[in-house]
Amino acid sequence: MTAKSLILTGYGINSEEETSFAFETAGFQSIVRHINDLAENPDELNDVQVLCIPGGFSYGDDTGSGNAFAQKMRLTLWDHLQKFVARDTLTLGICNGCQIVANLGLAPAIDKKYGERFVAVTHNLTARYQCRWVDVAVQDTNSPWLTKGTKLHIPVAHGEGRFMMADTTLKTIQDMKQIALRFVKPSSCHPEGAQATEGSREILRYAQDDIKWENAKGEFPFNPNGATDDIAGITDPTGRVLALMPHPERGMFTWQRDDYARLKDKAQREGKPLPESADGLQIFENAAEYFGIKAEKKRA
Amino acid sequence: MSQRIEVITIAEDGRAEVLEANLARSGKSVSAKIVDVYTVEHDIENPANVAALSRSFVNPVTQKLLTRGDEGDFDWAVEIGFLPGVTDNIGHTVSELSALTLNDNQPVYSSQVILLKGRLDERDVKNIAATLHNPLIQRAAIKDAASYKKDGGMDVVVPKVRLSNDHLVADDIDLNIPDEDLAAIGKDGIRNADGTRRGPLGMSLLYMKAVQDYFKKLGRPAKDIEIETLAQTWSEHCKHTIFASPIDDVKDGLYKHYIKRATQDIRAAKGKNDICVSVFKDNSGGIVFDDEWLITDKVETHNSPSALDPFGGAITGIVGVNRDCLGFGKGAKPVLNRYGFCLADPNSNPDFYRGKGKVNKALSPATIMKGVIHGVNHGGNCSGIPTPQGFLYFDDRYAGKPLVFAGTVGVIPRDINGQKGHEKKAQVGDLIVMIGGKVGRDGIHGATFSSVALDEGSPATAVQIGDPITQKKFSDAIIKDIRDLGLYNAITDNGAGGLSSSVGEMGGDTNGFTVELDKVPLKYPGMQPWEIWISESQERMTLAVPPKNIEKLQSLLEKRGVESWVIGAFTDSGKCHVTWHGETVMDIDMDFLHDGVPETPLKTTFTRGGEAEPELEAPADYSKTLIAMMSRLNICSKEFVATQYDHNVQGSAVLGPLQGPGRVFAEATVSRPVLNNPRGVVLSQGLAPLYSDIDTYHMAAASLDIAVRNAVAAGCPIYHLAILDNFCWCSSEEPERLGQLKRACEAIYDFAVLYGTPFISGKDSMFNDFKGYDGNDNPVKISIPPTLLVSGIGVVEHVDQAVSLDPKMAGDLVYVLGKTRDELGASEYYAMHGKTGSNVPETHGKGNLALYKAIGKANKNRWIASALPVTLGGLGVALAKKCIASGLGMDLRILSAIRLDKFLFSESTGRVVITIDPKHKQDVEFLFGDDAHFLGTITERPVLSFDGIETTIADLETAYKYPLEDF
Repeated sequence: MTAKSLILTGYGINSEEETSFAFETAGFQSIVRHINDLAENPDELNDVQVLCIPGGFSYGDDTGSGNAFAQKMRLTLWDHLQKFVARDTLTLGICNGCQIVANLGLAPAIDKKYGERFVAVTHNLTARYQCRWVDVAVQDTNSPWLTKGTKLHIPVAHGEGRFMMADTTLKTIQDMKQIALRFVKPSSCHPEGAQATEGSREILRYAQDDIKWENAKGEFPFNPNGATDDIAGITDPTGRVLALMPHPERGMFTWQRDDYARLKDKAQREGKPLPESADGLQIFENAAEYFGIKAEKKRA
Repeated sequence: MSQRIEVITIAEDGRAEVLEANLARSGKSVSAKIVDVYTVEHDIENPANVAALSRSFVNPVTQKLLTRGDEGDFDWAVEIGFLPGVTDNIGHTVSELSALTLNDNQPVYSSQVILLKGRLDERDVKNIAATLHNPLIQRAAIKDAASYKKDGGMDVVVPKVRLSNDHLVADDIDLNIPDEDLAAIGKDGIRNADGTRRGPLGMSLLYMKAVQDYFKKLGRPAKDIEIETLAQTWSEHCKHTIFASPIDDVKDGLYKHYIKRATQDIRAAKGKNDICVSVFKDNSGGIVFDDEWLITDKVETHNSPSALDPFGGAITGIVGVNRDCLGFGKGAKPVLNRYGFCLADPNSNPDFYRGKGKVNKALSPATIMKGVIHGVNHGGNCSGIPTPQGFLYFDDRYAGKPLVFAGTVGVIPRDINGQKGHEKKAQVGDLIVMIGGKVGRDGIHGATFSSVALDEGSPATAVQIGDPITQKKFSDAIIKDIRDLGLYNAITDNGAGGLSSSVGEMGGDTNGFTVELDKVPLKYPGMQPWEIWISESQERMTLAVPPKNIEKLQSLLEKRGVESWVIGAFTDSGKCHVTWHGETVMDIDMDFLHDGVPETPLKTTFTRGGEAEPELEAPADYSKTLIAMMSRLNICSKEFVATQYDHNVQGSAVLGPLQGPGRVFAEATVSRPVLNNPRGVVLSQGLAPLYSDIDTYHMAAASLDIAVRNAVAAGCPIYHLAILDNFCWCSSEEPERLGQLKRACEAIYDFAVLYGTPFISGKDSMFNDFKGYDGNDNPVKISIPPTLLVSGIGVVEHVDQAVSLDPKMAGDLVYVLGKTRDELGASEYYAMHGKTGSNVPETHGKGNLALYKAIGKANKNRWIASALPVTLGGLGVALAKKCIASGLGMDLRILSAIRLDKFLFSESTGRVVITIDPKHKQDVEFLFGDDAHFLGTITERPVLSFDGIETTIADLETAYKYPLEDF
């Protein structure tokens, strides 16, 4: 069977092409749709299984990232969005999309109160845009987006990625298994003294096969934005709506990884082929599996 | 009645905490709260409506609408807002939200109130306010808590442009006047009725007399708009008159004789392997990517505006060069940005003023650095274009005028429904359509102003701020929705000179145009016809559209939230014809506009600079010396810039700006712009301004060699590599400076042809001088060192041939390829000792070419595990960087005829440090022969060790990473 993914764009959204490519690679029929065109013909949502709001800078982040685009969606599409998430569909918000989903109240939507804003995704603690690779661990979640894969090495690129919420909200989404992803750091490789260089730390990581991970505990750069409780992604109560700050579509192939040069050198020395797909692709493949798509993958 | 809607942040606010940290660093312990303010021009009476609107920008989790008394405890309130007419993107967004939410489309103005608590007197607060705004574009208001409470908050300020609408006509200007008056018009501008001048035209008396003669022939007075247009079109900025003029015995000028001819000779020699497709004639240059795609490249400078408003200057620089990509052929898709900043030491604080009596102080180097970095950050990140590659270069002679380079690479199909993607031509009868933003007084005289030295008269109107989202909207509409429908015949950017140049250029296709100036949409009333015509308001493109397509085109644009206006038509009348409410205000011949500029033959002289070679003591402690070198501004890490520029968007990054687990700042990057195509685009840069102090020939040769070598080392085969030139010169009216320029041009001809790397595009900025006064009112002139940036763009057939700079495995072998000579003239090592010397590195092209071809062969076979060219700081620095990048050490024996410090820090060109898997030893040594100098092996032990001298990688890393980390 095939399933359709619809990738929203317009007004400064800018990651629609690579995100659509990720869904196609996982086996979806993917369409990129401008928000104005969808508002004109919202019934198109009835024919798609996945709605994705990708990364970007909608309205230049003016008044707070995702605010204006969320308002536009609220005013032009709200009823259809509610119907869509009520169906057996999947919704994904990446980076700017994550901020939009949070502002729209599609996640965490505690007690299925869709439309209510429970969390803010706001200015990084460094008050500076951060473009770097991070490690996020899949938490105890029932999200179809995360059925396979336990830890992802993927990049972040944002100026406002810091999840903030009231303690009661935090407790609820923790109890309801709505915290999907957390920033983590390696726990077992901190060389001391003369050896304590960034490079040597990483080297040790490469040396270990079964490297241990622990929550970043707010430590920069492992937690790049100071997010409460190291939260990198959340879901709605059903797990079918996932909002995450990192960019899986920028880490879906090995050649995209920050350590690609090392990996291909290692593979060459060992005479082994270099695996083509990387951690990020798993998220899209999980979605494909949810809809029973046989991924005869379109490879890059 | 206008109304302030104020939003206070109640949760932790990263912005406020960083502000507090910065103030703490300057010795003030202050706590800060930030209030975001949106001033709506017309009161929204109904509170329900305010609530509805604010719901879109107040996040209930972290913010709330501010009501008086909820400010909490504070001592001072500082408000920063925009001055009238300055682009206010946040304000625009809120007014769009108001239109969406309340169907109330009205102007909104954004500002920010900072509530400060701490032991501060009024002077402290004034100083803080001064660091928080740029008086050229922003206002600051200060109140103490008492008066804040008494007045019920800050005052309502509506920064609306209020210009009178009377006397909006084109004036007749009598040019039958004495030469000195004519010269005055050329220098300071047309005289207004009140005696004031309209700002510099940058026209010499020779030019003014040509204009005078022309209107004598026509037998009528000139209109102001006609003179302004000629000034724009003939400006150094647009016509590059210095590169075009006969110079000494070079009758066809520097550009044709050296740069263009180099490309012609290379293309002829390459024959069917020619990689050039569209060079020098379009907004960008275009070369072959593969059978399906072209890649385009263009690098611009935006120096003068950046000296006045670093943020605005840099952001308009980057979004401006994006349009040079959109304006290539039928429209190329921007896929990569690059940048470069030449700056003064941000830790210095020179005391320079534009005006006598300590008026109009030049911005501090730190302010300029932070501003230009943030400008490219906002422009590039908001546009969704990755910005992987760039540099920062420091010399105190950039204090008066920083250099801001911005480049954009694009991709475009070679075939767009049966037509060549890179070809376009306006047709007679095509409508002239302007799309994007409206026109204001932004950047009036930008083109003429960037052709003169900065001084007191530098017009603040030249300052402008980009609006990347407006541009992103039409960029997507054109490239992703409209281009392939074939609805327009030509497209070009509105850059320097605004409509006067974009329409003027396109009119060349048909030999004429007519424009109804009153059809051009304005940001505010009160603009003179000539201002509308030459305004450089950003985010505009001009299209040539057949009448039959206009309806479809405009409706498609509207669907994407893009405005467009028909302002005239292209003709074959041979005339530039412009009307204002029916009256003809411009009617001059196309030939005169484009070819009427008089030739000014140039004469040059040249004297080699530098001094005798210094007799330096050999270092007592080589570790100390190497560590000191690593922390020099031109050598240390620029990571703080790389991480704030999105280099991963579009999913195309292969080798980024920070390489190896130890994150060393790279001088070349590799990207894969077409996701389902394994080919890679390699970007590199090269410059060596210090060498100009000795000989600009070797400066230019080195700059070109470094750009080429950086690309080749990263995996680019030299046969698929093209280059771009950006000359930034100074005092170009002086024969000596012109002599330096000519030598530089001779060099880049020689080496481009030798290497077979064609120039595909270039730009020059010839007057990077600051004229002003020091703290004691003594006149000062600061001229930049003659600077040539060479940018490389090449194609590698598969990204798995890309080579990063970090060593991969202990036990690997370390070689330096190429010969190390006693060449420390104008090196970083001599600079560290306050010397210049005379042995400037001389580039040996023939030998280098053989080496670069061999490296290409090695990379095809994937024999090289890591490669890093030896550039600033020499071999010692290159070895240290490789250790830092890998976290591994090196055990080396150095066998050298020259003294160890000279061997380690000589900047001889043509060298690359490589590491290899021992199993390739024979192949590599055979391939490189005498060029391969074995140095030693990579070790687990994190120590750089040569000849028993040991330095821990930790010490090297600290020295390399700390100097700029606090910026």
